[in-house]
Amino acid sequence: MVELVVNGGSHTLEAPVGRSLAETLRDGLGLTGTKIGCNEGHCGACTVLVDGVPTLSCITLVHTVEGRNVTTIEGLRDHPLVDSFVRADALQCGFCTPGQIVSASALVEANPEPTREQIRHGMAGNLCRCGAYPKIEEAIATWQG
Amino acid sequence: MARLIRTEKEVEGRYEEVWLVVEEDALDQWPSGPGDIVGRAAPRITGRQRARGEARYTADVQLPGMLHTAVLRSPHAYARVKSIDLTRALEAPGVRAAIGPDALHVLVDEAGYPGVAVAAVAADTFDEARDAVALIEVDWELLDPVLDPEDAVSRGQLLIDPRRYERGDTERGFAEADIVVEAEYRTQTVLHNSMETHQTICEWQGDRLDVYISTQFIWGVRDEVAEELGMPPDKVRVVCEFMGGGFGSKNGAGDHTFIAAELAKRAGRPVRCALTRREENQASGNRNATIQRLKAGARSDGTLVALSGEFVNAVGWSGWTATTEGPMQMLYACDNVQTVTYGAKINTPPMRAFRAPGFVEGTFGLECLLDELAAKLDLDPLEVRRLNHAHAGDDRPYSSKNLMECYKRAEPHWERRHDARARSEGPWKRGVGLASQIWYGGGGPPSYAWVRLGSDGRATVITAMQDIGTGTATAMTQIAAEELGLPLDRIDFVLGDSARGPYASISAGSSTIPSMGPAVRAAAADAGRQIIEIAAQRYDKEQRILSLKNGHVTSSDGGSWPLAEVVGLLEDAQILGKGARGPNPAGMQVLTFGVQVVEVSVDTETGEVQVDRVAAIHDVGRVINPLGASSQVEGGIIQGIGHTLSEERLLDPQTGTILTQSLDHYKLPTIADTPPEIVTELLDIPDEHLTNLGSKGLGEPPIIPTAAAIANAIRDATGADVRSLPISREEMLRALREARERAGEKVAAPAS
Amino acid sequence: MQLQRPETPEAAAAALGSGSVALAGGTELVPLLRNGLVRAETLIAIRDAVPRGIDGTRIGAGTTLAELEADPQIPQALREACSLAASPQLRTMGTIGGNLLQATRCWYWRLDFPCYLHGGERCHARQGEHREHAIFGNERCASAHPSDIAATLLALGATLRTTQRELTVPDLYRLPTDDNRKVTTIEPDELILELDVPKPEASTYLKAMDRRQFAFPMVGVAAARSGHSVRLALAGVAPIPWALGSPDDLDEATPLTGTAYKVEIARTLVRRAVEAVS
Repeated sequence: MVELVVNGGSHTLEAPVGRSLAETLRDGLGLTGTKIGCNEGHCGACTVLVDGVPTLSCITLVHTVEGRNVTTIEGLRDHPLVDSFVRADALQCGFCTPGQIVSASALVEANPEPTREQIRHGMAGNLCRCGAYPKIEEAIATWQG
Repeated sequence: MARLIRTEKEVEGRYEEVWLVVEEDALDQWPSGPGDIVGRAAPRITGRQRARGEARYTADVQLPGMLHTAVLRSPHAYARVKSIDLTRALEAPGVRAAIGPDALHVLVDEAGYPGVAVAAVAADTFDEARDAVALIEVDWELLDPVLDPEDAVSRGQLLIDPRRYERGDTERGFAEADIVVEAEYRTQTVLHNSMETHQTICEWQGDRLDVYISTQFIWGVRDEVAEELGMPPDKVRVVCEFMGGGFGSKNGAGDHTFIAAELAKRAGRPVRCALTRREENQASGNRNATIQRLKAGARSDGTLVALSGEFVNAVGWSGWTATTEGPMQMLYACDNVQTVTYGAKINTPPMRAFRAPGFVEGTFGLECLLDELAAKLDLDPLEVRRLNHAHAGDDRPYSSKNLMECYKRAEPHWERRHDARARSEGPWKRGVGLASQIWYGGGGPPSYAWVRLGSDGRATVITAMQDIGTGTATAMTQIAAEELGLPLDRIDFVLGDSARGPYASISAGSSTIPSMGPAVRAAAADAGRQIIEIAAQRYDKEQRILSLKNGHVTSSDGGSWPLAEVVGLLEDAQILGKGARGPNPAGMQVLTFGVQVVEVSVDTETGEVQVDRVAAIHDVGRVINPLGASSQVEGGIIQGIGHTLSEERLLDPQTGTILTQSLDHYKLPTIADTPPEIVTELLDIPDEHLTNLGSKGLGEPPIIPTAAAIANAIRDATGADVRSLPISREEMLRALREARERAGEKVAAPAS
Repeated sequence: MQLQRPETPEAAAAALGSGSVALAGGTELVPLLRNGLVRAETLIAIRDAVPRGIDGTRIGAGTTLAELEADPQIPQALREACSLAASPQLRTMGTIGGNLLQATRCWYWRLDFPCYLHGGERCHARQGEHREHAIFGNERCASAHPSDIAATLLALGATLRTTQRELTVPDLYRLPTDDNRKVTTIEPDELILELDVPKPEASTYLKAMDRRQFAFPMVGVAAARSGHSVRLALAGVAPIPWALGSPDDLDEATPLTGTAYKVEIARTLVRRAVEAVS
């Protein structure tokens, strides 16, 4: 059994040691906003926050985050970044977008007015094959409206 | 009236003659320029769902009792299964079904490439399925693989007869040329790497089959599955509501779909078959490598008098031979052109269409060659392109062509090269390059849409198409809104389910907007006509003075009534409109054109290349959504930059094993690799001959010229000729060394 | 598989060995477990057992790369190396202790070819595809060490304290030999606890990679100057982090056909790094 705190709610789940946080969120809790793109930490689609820190949930074993605060895209649905991403057209197929927004939320939390260089540095771990990058940069630079 | 015609159908540059029932396209095009909604920026209608993680992709579909599949794939490039034993796998925990080559045509006992599917297991969890696959015992007979495409050509191991083309007399052309340049260009194999991997869930409902699939072509999957399984097509329902990228790799059903269908039948449960990223990078297709030996002859003023090319496509074990020679045949006016194209059959995974297949590769070679020619003649590369502009197509006129206007718009960007060069500093050299683009993108029939309007004055547009992330659903909504005079938020767009709408075209070949858009407009116009008929009766007006605008029925004599009032009396009655895509203009070539101007910086000591700025000027007819269109252009350019600088699938030269299966080794561009500035300029000139919209497709054009423009900018900056993609540090340093040696020879020459 | 969470270094060390493997940030171990390259009966989560944080020149082994990247107490070269390493998420997850013990990215090793490093007869990369591989120490195994941080610590003259001993960075690494294919000297039941990273007068880390961020080093060059002496070390050029006595030592490189370009890049980066710290 593993006890998880996700988006403020507590959950107790059955999970063997070795099960990833991403699988648990998606299959165990039905929180499918977190995507699995590569399942080995090379693409960023699975990014969630653990105690506010961007974390690759596909290579995080669920048992290691027991008792820590996990925030997924479902917990960030009303974040102003959602609107700024839509406004800037910062998504195409959208499969990487939840991970982008989770990463961006940590970036702007730490630094509400990031420079373009800081955005590029802070977002380099979230791949977007559609190439929405210029508008992702724009969306983050203008997230406060 | 429906009409039966014999017409050419083009997808991804491949033509076939088909019989088609088409409906006349009775609508006149809208005037050029932005309308109330069409031609104006609209954020995508599904943006919030996607951004909030609410959109349900195929990867997110979870059906009760669903099983998961693991596939045994050949570890060998070329081998035969002498025997295979599934017994232990079938007995493993959680396993519900297991199949091998005797059960299904897509499971093979002769493996022609590494990663081809041989057997599959469905189990309660993916981990159980994977563990069971490890228990399958296979006795392999190893065969000698052929991995080198040139080797395959010399052995005559080809997938098609060599494809030959000639116009004029190239031998004489070269003889009359003042200058002849020759070079060999190479492009690498690149991988699509859609963020959502290929996946399908199959669920049998009696004799019906539901297929949830990440696809670019709902109706193609329906037909393919029905044919393979011997079912009436409408017994197969195909669903794809949200789709995580395809880029050409998801045009067909794919092996995984047939595996899921068979396992679901055997297990009596819904079955998911999803490729892992590593499987994706082995077995889901690629843009194949090419070798291009090209030659151009010109007069001293730059006029092309002969072009010839020998193209080797490293197609793989199967697949089709893309038209790498297309740009050489089509881009310039040149009387004498000769090409031959070989489709090499080798023991590597089959190619699949990848965003302008053939033309991306062929444009790299041709447009680099043209700049090498211009450099030899000391001519301005833009002027050489203008001089050789093709004003008419081969035997058929262009439906529209505004490439010269693109060149004109390119001038201010091209002028920046003097400043760019002047900003060179120390080892960092700067320069500007350009390259032209030609491609298809006219779409075609059939495609259909329905529009339903109720008494609340809201409209629902229904068509069983897919939006693969290109924003077509938004564009379609804009088209319907424009025609119905309704604000965007009063239109719902329903797509993604073959059981819930009419036939819709493939989302490939830059064809979605030109194929679907006119059908949606026709359906909306059909509904609009009925609204006006009702309004005319209700308010006692002549139909011809009524129109739909801003959610109102407006009369030219001053009356205006909210639509909700007009249709309010319908109660449960509905207005139903239907529309079909009309035919393409007879006897005409429908093509897209453009030019890109790229600024680069090159660190001549470390070989690092940075793309600083890209100006993309394309002629794709009417633009429906300038915001979405600029996103498409930027995305194409960024994929093009990956293709040019960092991406390459690598094989072990002995075994053929794919070494770059994971995304640490296969290097997609990140946000940090994005040029600081991308300028998109779309001419937005409707094609007067093409449909009721005058819109062509935009998905592919932006990726086509990027590689050549970058290479030409590198030459401008450094004098080095890069002729091989990707332009890795190694290739860049090699080309710089070669350029230094050449310069050294020139300096040394007078002394000797 | 089991998971244990010891709270002291002693308890963690006692739990390690014989099928028990230490798990810190997990960025390396979890994929290796999933791909069957590491097998474990028990995972020992060492997050609570290993020191974390920065105190002057001392760095807890559980400190993440993101924390190092941001801390002004940390020598410039190490901050730059962390900033250029991996991705933001991997830097918030990955610890400096774990980073030093990561395995090569050699595709043959990662795809479990029966290569020299896996105990086999020969190095598949030498005869095969090896553009990402070594130019030094590559006679038996041509793999390249991927750690930007390890090369930087080598140049900085860092020392390590483990549950068993104190050692220098050169003591931590070894080239694989016929009788022992390991590239580190860490015992299965030994944990890195703390590092001491002296502050040089000037230092820098320069990195060539296939894209501008989020790639392992093609060539990484760390330089640290104390007084007149400049210490140099390279990442991505040998099976282990490689110390360079002087820039001229690049003449001793033994590149393979496909790695010769790395020598050229290394020459430039070494020159630039030396200039930057002088």
